[in-house]
Amino acid sequence: MNALRSALAGPAGAILLAFFLAACAMLLAGVSPADGFEALFIGSLGGRQQIAETLVQTTALLFPALGICLAFRAGLFNIGAEGQLLIGGLAAGAAGAHFAAATPLAAFVLLACGFVGGGFWGAIAGWLRAQFNANEVISTLMLNFVAFNVASYLVSGPLKSPAATGAETAPLPTSSWLPLLLPDTRLSIGLLIALLAAFVLRWVLSRTVFGFELRAAGDAPEAARRNGVNMPRMTLLALTLSGAIAGLGGASIVAGVLHRFNTQMSPGYGYTAIAVALVGDLNPLWICVAAFGFGILEAGGLAMQALADVPKDAIHVIEGLIILVLAARRYIATRTQAAPI
Amino acid sequence: MSAAGASLLATLAALTLVKSTPIIYAALGGVVSERSGIINIGLEGMMAGGAFTAVVFSGLTGAPVIGVLAGIAAGALLGLVLGVAATVFKVDQIVAGTGINLVALGGAAYALTLLYDQPGASPQVNALGSNYWILVAAAFACALLLHAVLYYTPWGLRVRACGENPRAVYDAGLRPLRLRLYAVILSGALAGLGGAFLSIGEVNIYSDGMTAGRGFIALAAVIFGRWTPWGATGAAIFFGFFEALQYVLQGRIAWLPSDAMQAIPYVAALVAIAGLVGKVRAPAADGIPY
Repeated sequence: MNALRSALAGPAGAILLAFFLAACAMLLAGVSPADGFEALFIGSLGGRQQIAETLVQTTALLFPALGICLAFRAGLFNIGAEGQLLIGGLAAGAAGAHFAAATPLAAFVLLACGFVGGGFWGAIAGWLRAQFNANEVISTLMLNFVAFNVASYLVSGPLKSPAATGAETAPLPTSSWLPLLLPDTRLSIGLLIALLAAFVLRWVLSRTVFGFELRAAGDAPEAARRNGVNMPRMTLLALTLSGAIAGLGGASIVAGVLHRFNTQMSPGYGYTAIAVALVGDLNPLWICVAAFGFGILEAGGLAMQALADVPKDAIHVIEGLIILVLAARRYIATRTQAAPI
Repeated sequence: MSAAGASLLATLAALTLVKSTPIIYAALGGVVSERSGIINIGLEGMMAGGAFTAVVFSGLTGAPVIGVLAGIAAGALLGLVLGVAATVFKVDQIVAGTGINLVALGGAAYALTLLYDQPGASPQVNALGSNYWILVAAAFACALLLHAVLYYTPWGLRVRACGENPRAVYDAGLRPLRLRLYAVILSGALAGLGGAFLSIGEVNIYSDGMTAGRGFIALAAVIFGRWTPWGATGAAIFFGFFEALQYVLQGRIAWLPSDAMQAIPYVAALVAIAGLVGKVRAPAADGIPY
């Protein structure tokens, strides 16, 4: 019984549950799960193009998930990765369209712009929390909406490409695109940068004084404060870095995939990334694995809708349920006696 | 003042009441939940669930009243899920609320495609029409009622005690987790009612993203209103005013872009939660699992 319990309580149980829930969603839509899963997996892993597309989605989720991981580890609920990603993409798109430089390093300049842009957006919430004790859950959420309005205003006005019909920036010159990892696909070296970021984050969290202080601030804020951690400064730094990593993700989408900025660049990557970070147990390396799993869902979800007629929003329901179940699993795994209700 | 100016002010006042109503309901839901010690980040999803379910049942039965009741039930059901997660399973409340939002918002979008075969928005259904004002008035009645319940009944005292010191409630021979569970179900029901007002009170359809962060604004209203029913109601009217202002100003001030106006309620919420340094104190056990 205990063995069964711990097996089901682990990630394996969560994955099984995800498949079960996906099957239910398919049955509800009047589709046989066999057909649905076939579409899901053919659409995500069925060939070179499909695998590349899954990895494109993996990259898009991995950056914000790593940013969320950093903030959560510091005890700060950054729900604003979506807005930080958007501002990062905006910064990269604006820089790429207006200050074109024909150097091989141009793409990395754009990534740096995204890093700074997302960091700035995260820093607003960090400053509000450090200075005024403003709840970061609400401020980061509000900033998501403000980010969208800011981006929407800029791309339909000052930054709008004169040639474009829709609201978007001018396309980036080819010289500032991120090089492709797989030729003839949409997969750029952004994936490698995301993986590198995961290893760097792991190293910072587990091997540096800053990482130790950050985790201490999250796990035992009072002890950290008494031992000399400057808590307001740590709050500001953690939310700034968290936003910067998400912003880097936005820039990698702009410079690596879309090659221009528009406000539809993210179908909610910043929100899905919360699930990715939690499924990855707030551990940067497991988050890479989780991002790949969610990349399959995101890429396969579209194929499922096209081939098997299952609405792709079912994917979000499944993601939400995975969050709830995984959050409950620690309790199930460690439960020793019934709680008094 | 000119007649045009007076009528503009009257429009603004009326629109403020309408735009405040869903936020008042959700904010009252936030108050009862947080006073019991559970932070309800899922208000947004509960509003969306209520809004969508109200449209479905109004469409099925042709009776908008049934739709409103179904919206309340849907919100309560989501509140039950959050409550069980937060009490029985001691899940982190922010995490559980985020999960609820994904499930409810995604579920509404999924069901929209399944039921009506048209993503984005539902077909038109019977709405409350000119009777919507009943729900506007009822929002204030709910604030009064919640104030009375929280401060003048034993149940209210117990709920507030759960938010301050659940251990003491337990030691007094009561069941703090059960009290919290009931409070969150009530919270969800109120948010669902707010959502139903959005879909079949103000308009007559459900469209994707129609809650537009009102559940989160309601959370800001709870803090701005210092965790009291009347305070939260006042804060909700404050935010409703800025939302109404955005509609009234649209097309009147050429130099202010519409995106800037749309950002007004969110910026107001940011300023509100930042501007209360040192003055607010959340319930002591708010957000802490017992």
